[in-house]
Amino acid sequence: MNPVGDIYTGASNGLREVWSNKVRSLLSMSGIILGVAALVAMVGIVQGMLGNMRASFERSGGVLKLEVHPREAPEEQQHIAGISPGMTWRDIGAIEKAIPLAAFVTPVVDMNWERFVAKGRRAGAILHGVTPDLMGIKNYRLKHGRFISDFDIEAKSPVIVVGGHIVRELFRGQAKVIGEQLRVRGQIYTIVGQMEEVEAGGIGGGGRRFNWESRLNYIPATTAMARYKGDDEVNRIEILAASVETMPDLMEQIENTLTQTHRGIFDFEIRTQEEQMAELKKLENSFTYSLGGIAGISLLVGGIGIMNVMLASVSERIREIGVRKAIGARSHDIFIQFLAEAVVISVLGGLFGLVASVGLLSLARDLIPEGQNINLIPVTAMFYGFLFSSLVGLASGIYPALRASRLDPIDALRYE
Amino acid sequence: MIDTGKVFELSAIRRTYQVGGELVRALDGVDLTIRDREFIAVIGTSGSGKSTLMHTLGFMDSPSSGRMSFEGRDVSAIGRGERARLRAARIGFVFQAFNLLSKLTVLDNVVLPLIYSRKRVKDKRGLGMRALERVGMEHRAGHTPGQLSGGERQRVAIARSLINEPRLILADEPTGNLDSKNRGRIMELFASLMDEGITLALVTHDDEVAAYAKRRIRMQDGRIVEDSLS
Repeated sequence: MNPVGDIYTGASNGLREVWSNKVRSLLSMSGIILGVAALVAMVGIVQGMLGNMRASFERSGGVLKLEVHPREAPEEQQHIAGISPGMTWRDIGAIEKAIPLAAFVTPVVDMNWERFVAKGRRAGAILHGVTPDLMGIKNYRLKHGRFISDFDIEAKSPVIVVGGHIVRELFRGQAKVIGEQLRVRGQIYTIVGQMEEVEAGGIGGGGRRFNWESRLNYIPATTAMARYKGDDEVNRIEILAASVETMPDLMEQIENTLTQTHRGIFDFEIRTQEEQMAELKKLENSFTYSLGGIAGISLLVGGIGIMNVMLASVSERIREIGVRKAIGARSHDIFIQFLAEAVVISVLGGLFGLVASVGLLSLARDLIPEGQNINLIPVTAMFYGFLFSSLVGLASGIYPALRASRLDPIDALRYE
Repeated sequence: MIDTGKVFELSAIRRTYQVGGELVRALDGVDLTIRDREFIAVIGTSGSGKSTLMHTLGFMDSPSSGRMSFEGRDVSAIGRGERARLRAARIGFVFQAFNLLSKLTVLDNVVLPLIYSRKRVKDKRGLGMRALERVGMEHRAGHTPGQLSGGERQRVAIARSLINEPRLILADEPTGNLDSKNRGRIMELFASLMDEGITLALVTHDDEVAAYAKRRIRMQDGRIVEDSLS
């Protein structure tokens, strides 16, 4: 007995058979190719999306960040909810004054999607009204110029800090656009700052294209309220805690302060990033299980395809099996030979599937129009995809190989 | 004492099958001794038991009863694995339909029994080439069986049967698929191999072919009815 020799002989025989029946082999491995490619590509896309969401989450303040959002007053306060002024500019001042645990506080006056116009060109992007504290909360950097200043807040200055998308779309070919002007809903702004481009890594490095963070643009919160809202309402408040340890105290203090400014009405909620992280994790798990299930089923179907082809191959080669047995092959040799063929088909299918998955990931990166960057080749998924496809081949080859090995040499030689 | 000149010794060998409800006696008390360097022709009508005898001698089938010894060792009831080992190492087969593997080259076909016999041979291909030289087919080593004529294929099959230096070569109608010219060539080849010390038993319908053999065994209804030297 020489197991290494058996495997070597089996694999080389298997390769020879696969090569001499190219079309049939390719068809039989197509299920495995598609299964592995789908598994790896889907996991890659999902991991890429989630990875970028996580990176974006870190840049936007990480676990130290808190957000206060308005919400409907609870049922028992509905009849008196009107006495609350809602979430306003006054809340910012109150938090800044009363809560030293809050390192940075900014309102976000959210204009959402706006059309930006300059030099006869138009581009869609996001406009937020904020205060200078935003730069303390977010992990963003300026490339040129300055950010919004306290003076801008005071004076409601018509100034804007633009992201990479606006620079690219409206001021083509200009690296620096400080001093240029643009219009949003008829209002003119002077560009005083340019944000550093946020690079999300990519297979080919070009991660800018789908990065929504490069579409963010900032004006003073007071300017946004005066020009577009007509009141002092803000959409949310973002706060950076001084430390993780003091976060529970900070949350309590925020709640107390806002309860006062909102006249006892609980029409606000404090959200931590931790909750968002947990949501992200849940999302990741549900994706992983559902994708794993789909990929598992497709690999199983691929395995059935291989078994079918191997059974046909055994029927076609009964006489060959008889000859091999007559000249001394043991049942064990025939078993190994046919099993090796099934494994060779599935291993090759797995390898082709991996190559196809890299192609699919590149394609997905170029095709997905908006949203997060697709930037990962999931090595773990590749490993498991390949391993699982090989195991499927092994399992699907056992029955045909057993049938072949059990043939009686005399009957097999007589077979026409 | 073991007679070293005896290849096979069969005593009261029976092989029966149950077909439907009927008992078929393919071999019905065969006594036979085969010695080294014998050239035996087994003749008989269809169903006389000659193929079953060849399968039994070739370790492809086991007797239902009786005693069978090979090279002095009792092999009446050996298992499938041991039978396969003996087939690979000690017996050479030549078939009527040549039975070469069409996807392998001539040389790969010839060395195939070496792989299954698990003999530690350093230069398998060199040995294969020498076997091909013995049958005059070394110039076709790289061809596939499909590129050869019937006579050439049978010569390659004979080279394959020689590769393990077997104690006995069994040939089942080896000229059955050949024209008269090629039939003569193949029988000449067997005769020359006999001169090299090969022991050969062949099954044939053809009296002309049987005439090459030095010993003729005629079978009928599973028994040897004639065993004569020419």
